[in-house]
Amino acid sequence: MTEAVLEKVQDPFADAPVVVDMKNITKRFGTVEALRGVDFQVRAGEVRALMGDNGAGKSTLIKVLTGVHTPTSGQIIFDGEEVQVNSPADARELGIETCYQDLALIPLMSIWRNFFLGREMVTNVGPVKWLQRRKMAEQCRDSLKDIGIHIRSAEEKVGKMSGGERQSIAIGRAIHFGAKLLILDEPTSALSVKETNKVLDYIRAARDRGLPVIFITHNVNHIYQVSDSYTIIRQGQSVGTYLKGELTQQDIADLITGAREK
Amino acid sequence: MNTSSLRVRALRLFENSPIAGPLITLIVIYILSFFFVPNFATWRTLSGIVTAVSISGIVTIGITLLMISGEFDLSLAPMIAMSGYLFGSVSVGADNLIVNTLSGWGMPVGIGEPNIPFAFALGLLVPGLMGLVNGLILVWTNIPSFIVTLGTRQIYRGLVWIVAGAELLQVLDEPAIYEVLNGRFVWLNDFIKANFIAEGVRDRVNFRTATIWLFVLVGLYQTLLVRTRFGNHLFAIGGNDGAARAQGVRSVRARIMSFVISGLLAGFAGMVQFSQFKSVRVAEQTGIELTAIAGAVVGGALLTGGYGSVWGALVGVLLISVLRSAVILLKLPWVPADNFPAIVGVTIIASVVFNNWLRTRSTS
Repeated sequence: MTEAVLEKVQDPFADAPVVVDMKNITKRFGTVEALRGVDFQVRAGEVRALMGDNGAGKSTLIKVLTGVHTPTSGQIIFDGEEVQVNSPADARELGIETCYQDLALIPLMSIWRNFFLGREMVTNVGPVKWLQRRKMAEQCRDSLKDIGIHIRSAEEKVGKMSGGERQSIAIGRAIHFGAKLLILDEPTSALSVKETNKVLDYIRAARDRGLPVIFITHNVNHIYQVSDSYTIIRQGQSVGTYLKGELTQQDIADLITGAREK
Repeated sequence: MNTSSLRVRALRLFENSPIAGPLITLIVIYILSFFFVPNFATWRTLSGIVTAVSISGIVTIGITLLMISGEFDLSLAPMIAMSGYLFGSVSVGADNLIVNTLSGWGMPVGIGEPNIPFAFALGLLVPGLMGLVNGLILVWTNIPSFIVTLGTRQIYRGLVWIVAGAELLQVLDEPAIYEVLNGRFVWLNDFIKANFIAEGVRDRVNFRTATIWLFVLVGLYQTLLVRTRFGNHLFAIGGNDGAARAQGVRSVRARIMSFVISGLLAGFAGMVQFSQFKSVRVAEQTGIELTAIAGAVVGGALLTGGYGSVWGALVGVLLISVLRSAVILLKLPWVPADNFPAIVGVTIIASVVFNNWLRTRSTS
């Protein structure tokens, strides 16, 4: 690694505890080796970009972490303990919140109903779970306001909101419910520049509250603005992990495409 | 408050409520008919319109819950027939296959020995069980509910045929429960006759008690839908099942539950129907599922799920009923009572266009 390194950068997270430690992960689909022994670590308080071209294996790696795929071999250590993540429900139990592009919210439902979906505040009336509607609407509003997201009304339908606003609701929800790790899958891919900047702000807000974030994308520019470190995946293997400032945007792009070997 | 902010508030109210579109249409068509259709402005027509929707209205509640969760049930007519046969036979102790078999099994009923509570339980629970089977097949096979219930519709019809001994059931007794479920609403009819129909005016009023049950059930299920966690989950599943599951919603359980509810409601409708006509045949109410779907859709429900309301569905079936009365009374040359479905077709398409327009304003 010679010309890729611009300067030696102090690692601000050198002493931070490791939240996720994925060791030597492999994943085979029949004869196809999607992951070939990937090591991946995220430390408390950092925004880690996970980058790679389409089909490089970054989605597979994340799906192993979120319980969608079971790894063929390898070890996952979360919060200091080795864990088996066999389903998305397991991942959620551990405190891993994932915001998928199309699977985050329900457009025809109101903001507060989306915010509390699956974790509704209820009063038990016999077998009936009565929704505490006003309380949830208020908490949703307040909680979003806390991290700088202002909504007109919690009763508004999510479908009426812009893509950036929707991402912000999903991020706000993860923070509110005390996630230990937030995974964002291409959160800025369909957004305008202005909207993207907003979402990047919310990602910073999440980090500032001590919530580590994994940010999956192939947009080098967005990554560059918000990430503390980058892991680059190519052909099912990790090319390397770099700190902010170690690479230029051009370096990152070259490493993703393999135009330059490390 | 100035007028423009009032206008904005009114608009928002309409935009956020699935019932707004159908309600406007219903009111407009009712008023137009009231003034321009001969003989429409009578108690006889009004009570006829309301009575005509009691059975299809109860069924439509179940269909609406299913449609909100993104499902259908095309097997409700045989459930209504099944309920009619079981309830009818046991409530009078008829000398037929059902009562013979049940008493042979040691159940508390015999020929000439009716058992009303048992009749009611059977009429409600057996269709509920049929709904449960629909739901289980759906979640086990992952076949779309349209196909699953297209199949069970034939199977259930066959079951009814067996249970009925392929015969029409007709009874002459009138146990009190018939009056409770769907008798003449004597008190209301007398009250209207005494206070609102002038001496010498040729008008009759014929409300039935089933209308009370319809309104009670509509209120109950609308509340369930909007104010409970179960209702919240139905909207979520229909709106985006993947997202709902990702948030930990137990989609499978909620969907099975909505099929059971829909079956229970069909069973209740079967008993209401039997209480009025005191007869039931194997092919009873064939096609009522499509009428119910039409009502739900006219009432603002989305065929693709995630949107709709029970109030709206009630307005939808009422709207179709009002149109039927108006069209029949107008005596149009090509549209006598028999050819009325043509008008329903026009209504369905026109209301969905209107509802879509309203909904798009509120969600994008």
